[in-house]
Amino acid sequence: MSASDSPRGAVSPATATTSPAADAVAGLASTSARGSRWKKGLPILVTGLVILALWAVAAAFVDTLPSPAETARELGRMARDGELASIFGRVTVFMAVCFSIAAVGGVALGLLIGARPALDRGLSPYLAALQGMPTSMWIPVAAVVLGTSAWSLGVVVSIGAMPAIMLATRSAVKSVPPLLIRAGRTFGADGRTLMRHVVLPAALPGIMTGLELGWSIAFRCLVAGEIFSGVLSGSGSGTGIGSVIARSRETGDLTEMMATIMIVLAFTMLVDRLLFARVHHRLRVSRGLVDAGLPH
Amino acid sequence: MSSPVTLTDVAQQFAGHGPARLALDGVTLSIEAGELVSIVGPSGCGKSTLLDLVAGHTRPVRGTVDVGGTRVTGPGLDRVMVFQEHALFPWASVRDNVGFGLKNAGVPDAEREATVTQWLAKVGLTDAAELHPHQLSGGMRQRAALARAFALRPQVLLMDEPFSALDAPSRDRLHVELQDLWQETGTTIIFVTHNVREAVALGSRVVVLSSGPGHIIGEVAVGLQRPRVVESDRVVALAREVRGLLDVADQLGISAPRSGSEDGHVSI
Repeated sequence: MSASDSPRGAVSPATATTSPAADAVAGLASTSARGSRWKKGLPILVTGLVILALWAVAAAFVDTLPSPAETARELGRMARDGELASIFGRVTVFMAVCFSIAAVGGVALGLLIGARPALDRGLSPYLAALQGMPTSMWIPVAAVVLGTSAWSLGVVVSIGAMPAIMLATRSAVKSVPPLLIRAGRTFGADGRTLMRHVVLPAALPGIMTGLELGWSIAFRCLVAGEIFSGVLSGSGSGTGIGSVIARSRETGDLTEMMATIMIVLAFTMLVDRLLFARVHHRLRVSRGLVDAGLPH
Repeated sequence: MSSPVTLTDVAQQFAGHGPARLALDGVTLSIEAGELVSIVGPSGCGKSTLLDLVAGHTRPVRGTVDVGGTRVTGPGLDRVMVFQEHALFPWASVRDNVGFGLKNAGVPDAEREATVTQWLAKVGLTDAAELHPHQLSGGMRQRAALARAFALRPQVLLMDEPFSALDAPSRDRLHVELQDLWQETGTTIIFVTHNVREAVALGSRVVVLSSGPGHIIGEVAVGLQRPRVVESDRVVALAREVRGLLDVADQLGISAPRSGSEDGHVSI
């Protein structure tokens, strides 16, 4: 991967490879909920092996691309050195903190905008513009104003993911069936009670979609920050995504880069399986959207 | 536990944008405490608007609405609505749906649980308490909606075509159950429908509305013994009388829409 690659270009292959696997898993998880663990795990395994095979073939033809075996050896080395744990830990802590702030702030402000038409008219065009703009463009601004630190990147990631979450929450609130709101009013819910016990649960599926979008925006922004300055890698240790990118750029050896991509892929897949896919499934089950006869 | 409902010379516009059109005009209606009154009329005659006024969701542009001697100025837990679509909350269990109003009314947990259990038993949903609305049949959903409304012990129960989306057997059973619940609780019930036989089967009297704008064109007292069913000969005979009132209004052109195409007519 050349140094001139844009931040988006650097990240998109990772997302492109996760999504088919994730879809296959989601489809199976819902249709055979009673099936054995083995039955659930098999498609994940098969898809993984197919991807590995394609990768091996590609590596055989392209000299600069490390093979799966070389990458696995490198991963072993990183695990022994503690680099793997370091990358994994930093990404987990950083994303957990920043995404929590973005999620709480985004959902709260989105509910507020959804409930107040005047605020909605005033803010939505600007939020849509902010959402459309790549958040990573703020990284140099924050670096100059706030200094090149993990904090400055954290501010960009947290606030950058908010507009998407706010807009999704607002749309979800606006498309709550009026009948449910009438029913809520009839049965004594008003103001905050109506918001908390009728609007919020009714809007949850839409809010979840916004949170997923916010998550991917935040993650892209994190990697862009690493390409920009590598603040998350820590100044001395040199064990982070940013240092890996810098080393690959200098040496032209992609083995460590591919190993790091594998770590990030594993991270996103874990988050999807343990968090988003589970919550989505629970929301669908409780609303009776699983037995609809459509493939999930 | 019930209140009289009085509407005096009420006029109300259709909600929404565009030129104001009257949905109701000059409606005067007096309903005694504990009475079950059916209101029947063609679609668009302002039946639902009338219920909204009593519920306090809207205010009349002219005239007054009083419940239990007090002017209606907004929604209240003493007047509860049952909708055509069950309007249960899809994310909550039947138990939580039935307890929703009680929770908002600030009823203590233990008392709420007891009331919910009692009402679930009355509508035959004890075994379905932990299920979600999507797991119920149409009839069971509407039963849950009835339990949710009755559990609040409202003074007035407003029913907006609650059974019109149900299959015939479920509807017939619910007709009987509603009459039982009404006799047991003595709640004032205003039952709106476009089904003339249903109106006769349920109401102690049937108020006939005509559209353009909605106004009362007649009233038929129903003195038949309860519980009544829609197929009974006497109900059918009285329904024919009510239908006659609606047809006369139609022929006089009273119920023709004021705006729109010239050959437009209202089907009943």
